[in-house]
Amino acid sequence: MAHIPAEKHTPLVLSVEGVTKSFDGFKAINDLNFYLRDGELRTVIGPNGAGKSTFMDLITARTKPDEGKINFHKDNGEDVDLTRVREHHVSQLGIGRKFQNPTIYRSHTVYDNLKLSLSGKRGLLHSLFYKESASDREKIYDVMETIRLKDHAHDLAGALSHGQKQWLEIGMLLAQDPRIMLVDEPAAGMSDEETERTGELLLSLEGKHSLIVIEHDMEFVRQIASRVTVLHQGHVLKEGSFDFVKSDPQVIEVYLGRQTRKH
Amino acid sequence: MKKILLLLGILVATLSAQAQEDATRDVLERLALASSSEQSAITEELSALGDPYIKDFVDAWRTGEVFSYDVSESETIVLRKVSEKFRRLSNDEIFEIADEENDENLSKIRPSRKLRKVLKTITDTIDLSSPDPRARIEAALKLGLSQKTDYLEALQSKIETEENEKVRLKFEEAINISLLANAEDDEALKHSIARLGELASLPARDGIIGIQNEATESGDAEMVAICAEAIKDIDSAQKTIERWGNLVRGMSTGSVLLIVAFGLAITFGLMGIINMAHGEFIAIGGYTCYVVQNLFADAFGTQSAAYQWFYWTAIPISFVVAGVIGYGLEKGMFRFLYKRPLESLLATWGLSMIMQQLFRLNFGAANVQVNTPDVLIGNFEVAGVALSYTRIFVIGFAVFVILMTWLLLSKTNLGLYIRSVMQNRNMASSLGIPVSKVNSLTFAFGCGLAALAGAALSQIGNVGPTMGQTYIVDSFMVVVVGGVGNLLGAGLSAMGIGTVDQFLQPYWGPVMGKIIVYFVIILFLQWKPGGLFPTKSRSMDD
Amino acid sequence: MNLFDNKLEARGFIVAAIVLLFALPMLNGLTSPDSFLHVSSFQISLWGKYVTYAILAMSLNVLWGYTGMLCLCQSLFFALGAYAFGMYLMLHVGVDTVYNTALPDFMDFQGYTELPWYWKPFESAPFAVLAAVGIPGIVSFIFGVLVFRSRIKGVYFSIITQALTYALMLLFFKNNLELFGQSFILFGGNNGLNGFKEIFGASVDSASTQRWLFIASVLLMLTVYLAIAWVLKTKFGKVQQAIRDSENRIRFSGYSTTTYKLLIFTVCAMIAGAAGALYVPQVGGINANEMTPAKSLDVVVWVAFGGRGTKFGPILGAVVVSLLKSFFLRAAPDSWLIILGAIFIFTVLFMPNGLVGLPQQLKPLWKRIRSKSTTSTVPVS
Repeated sequence: MAHIPAEKHTPLVLSVEGVTKSFDGFKAINDLNFYLRDGELRTVIGPNGAGKSTFMDLITARTKPDEGKINFHKDNGEDVDLTRVREHHVSQLGIGRKFQNPTIYRSHTVYDNLKLSLSGKRGLLHSLFYKESASDREKIYDVMETIRLKDHAHDLAGALSHGQKQWLEIGMLLAQDPRIMLVDEPAAGMSDEETERTGELLLSLEGKHSLIVIEHDMEFVRQIASRVTVLHQGHVLKEGSFDFVKSDPQVIEVYLGRQTRKH
Repeated sequence: MKKILLLLGILVATLSAQAQEDATRDVLERLALASSSEQSAITEELSALGDPYIKDFVDAWRTGEVFSYDVSESETIVLRKVSEKFRRLSNDEIFEIADEENDENLSKIRPSRKLRKVLKTITDTIDLSSPDPRARIEAALKLGLSQKTDYLEALQSKIETEENEKVRLKFEEAINISLLANAEDDEALKHSIARLGELASLPARDGIIGIQNEATESGDAEMVAICAEAIKDIDSAQKTIERWGNLVRGMSTGSVLLIVAFGLAITFGLMGIINMAHGEFIAIGGYTCYVVQNLFADAFGTQSAAYQWFYWTAIPISFVVAGVIGYGLEKGMFRFLYKRPLESLLATWGLSMIMQQLFRLNFGAANVQVNTPDVLIGNFEVAGVALSYTRIFVIGFAVFVILMTWLLLSKTNLGLYIRSVMQNRNMASSLGIPVSKVNSLTFAFGCGLAALAGAALSQIGNVGPTMGQTYIVDSFMVVVVGGVGNLLGAGLSAMGIGTVDQFLQPYWGPVMGKIIVYFVIILFLQWKPGGLFPTKSRSMDD
Repeated sequence: MNLFDNKLEARGFIVAAIVLLFALPMLNGLTSPDSFLHVSSFQISLWGKYVTYAILAMSLNVLWGYTGMLCLCQSLFFALGAYAFGMYLMLHVGVDTVYNTALPDFMDFQGYTELPWYWKPFESAPFAVLAAVGIPGIVSFIFGVLVFRSRIKGVYFSIITQALTYALMLLFFKNNLELFGQSFILFGGNNGLNGFKEIFGASVDSASTQRWLFIASVLLMLTVYLAIAWVLKTKFGKVQQAIRDSENRIRFSGYSTTTYKLLIFTVCAMIAGAAGALYVPQVGGINANEMTPAKSLDVVVWVAFGGRGTKFGPILGAVVVSLLKSFFLRAAPDSWLIILGAIFIFTVLFMPNGLVGLPQQLKPLWKRIRSKSTTSTVPVS
């Protein structure tokens, strides 16, 4: 069953069609169809083992699907098959990813972390003879302002708190300025206040970037979710607004139901 | 039970040998006293007996250590002088002879020239009648290769009475080899060559080539063709034998690799430690065998039956010694290196240097000799392929060790603990599993396995301070190819690498063989970067 | 852009350059042997050797200290460079007295009457110099493509590089290689290449040649130092360290880590090869013993002991460990390997930042001792 995107006025930026991926016979992703529109903020939820992380790995070419197509629709109307490129190309195309555990360069300063992520050329010669321009610097300071790490600009990233590291990684995504941002559990390990600010930040990006956010924290999902996709056993179970999804009996059965049983 | 049967067997064999020797002595005594006309009949009787004592006695006779002695007017017996004492030939009874020079009853006897010649043929062909079939085969081939007509006759007469089918074939081979030089005509020669080809006789190969060369010169095309055919048969049979030999050699080397790699895979899978000193634990195994051997030699003497047990005693001891040392090192050093694989690699390399130097200081820089217990000496022959017992033992030993390891890991509590710590250290710890104890014991076990490999190696390789280094690079390769921490993968890749290595060696030589193996491994990793059985991990930076 | 981190480093560099490039060679060449200030030619070539070791250590440090790749074949590249240049030297020993040919003795010994084709180009000095850098470069490039493409990293990278070292060592220990039914003479087997006479037309052993070789080695070391200092300041250098910290992150930020690693690996192999080429005329020979896996691990201990991931650490480590070695080999030859092994273990367990990081590491301890001593002296005063 193909999920036809509901809103038709904006162009698609990503379409995942009929994708299947199994590990040792276990189908982590099973005939998955997923479409993302330009500027959309989509939240993906699902119980453990639903295939959320594998889904991200597939989009970023970390793993290759057994079957199916994953197409990235470029600005100029060209399509790129993401199953045929390597990770760094995916990033260069304009797809950025934040990992579940904060992944940063701990022996670089916050400033350098962002500098390395800044959009631009990635070649060897470029990196050898790159000179920092005023606009680059301005952009880095803007990002640091947004993620509230300006005071830590010249601290080593390894010395930041867990929440700050999460933000720094989000900041690295911002610096990269991708068309699609994949954000894996951004609120994990954050205080309530930090979580809320993260939510605001993500909401503010809606429209400028397309976002896929994977999250467990239901409160957080409620805060940010306009459209929610529920994954179950590697397949899209339901798609719709948070309230629609929340009240769906099937979703309650596989996901919320389980949670209530646990408590 | 088996041991008792074995002992009984030995006893029976000893007794029957004694009975035969008595008969031989009787014939010899008659021969020594017989007149020259009677002698030829007795020599015939003698040549039917295949007793090694004949040779012994004939040598003594020739060198003037045999005497006739008149006990009374009517009775004359034969005495033999053995280390300055006169002993009666028939029963070794000692006779006191006061004055050797002037005792009238005593006179030195020597065989006549003609008899000597006959006796020589008898003694030379004596092994053809040996009760041991292997000795008969060896003697036949030796006599055949000498291509002397005297021996040809002996062979031809012996083959009539030979009952063992295998030995008969060898006799036939020997006769035909002899016929290469003694054939009556070309027809007979061609027949012999063709037959030798059928028998795949390697000893005949050089002779046939010689004939082929002669025939080429003289332009005898038919002979050349027959020779070529025979050589082809011989060579192809030889190839098969070599191939099987290689397979067994490869499997025994692979078995050692496997035991080594198992230890490595367990320690790496469990604690993320790359133990570069693992090879030195192999050496500990080898040296333990050496030390135990010397202790046995001092305590029981090398000739005693007890000495034969040194190796079987040394195997468990080497396991324990390495285990105890490993346990101590885990407590003192490795514990600080968990999950720091690069650092562990360096520290353990340092340890390996220290251990190697200690071996050198204690046992010298040269290799030491660990003997093979008698049971393992010799070859086991299947279809013309000689497989040495030591190699077969090593393969069996590895299977045993692997089986025990598997049982330990899958059927015991410790095994359950080990597997759970391997999978999730923190979880295991919070479930009340004594993680640090499990670590120490597992590490000790891994070291013990290495020592067992060393004990096995002492039988098929050298024992020296750097013996571990030869195997360590290969066994790391095994771990990489098999997939880290995966025992099944380690097993498959050890056997694969060991066998491929042995198969490449005859064609490319040991060095190029090794280089090709490494190259193939690197290519293999292009295809399967995680090895045969990659470990899956959800965290990003593993 | 300033290459140095601080004034101290800049001054230290200039002082070192003056002392090594001018003062020592002049004290060797211009003072009389009896003079108190005289530096003997033996000392010059000894220190020349240490300088090439230092360059080797620097090249490994770039790989391991900055990029996180613990390479166990750096000595192999060093030896390849040494062999390439040694072949040139070997072909200029002139006619020997035993066989009366211009061929190296080991070829005469095996009945060769003509130079094999693959030896011929090495008669030319420019070719040999190029080969000393190029051969390690080519070998490392091919190997690197295979290894980095399949994402072999961490300890697996170490293991695979060690296997490469081991395999080539076996090859170089051989006299001949039988391949495709043909026999190829190799590079002198066990004895390797030695007995050199001439280099670029001058006598190898003369004091002035050794002096120039020393100067060349120092120049290379200083150049490599400056190059490293420069790269560290560029974005390239930062990418390099980012690969060490989190290779996946930098890859998902759009950098092809395979390409970066490949370039670094190849360049470092070439630097090691150049150091090897300078090593060979100063030491007077090269043989397959320099290719054992143990030699590559020695380099690792120089870097770890001096301080990995620092610019000066590898130089310090190479020199200090070499001095320790020459001291102990004379004082207690049996115990040297034990001491070296102990250095390995001690460095890993207790000195993660090496000698260079030691003051920093000891500071808290020193503070505690001081505060203790001051508190203890308070009642007295």
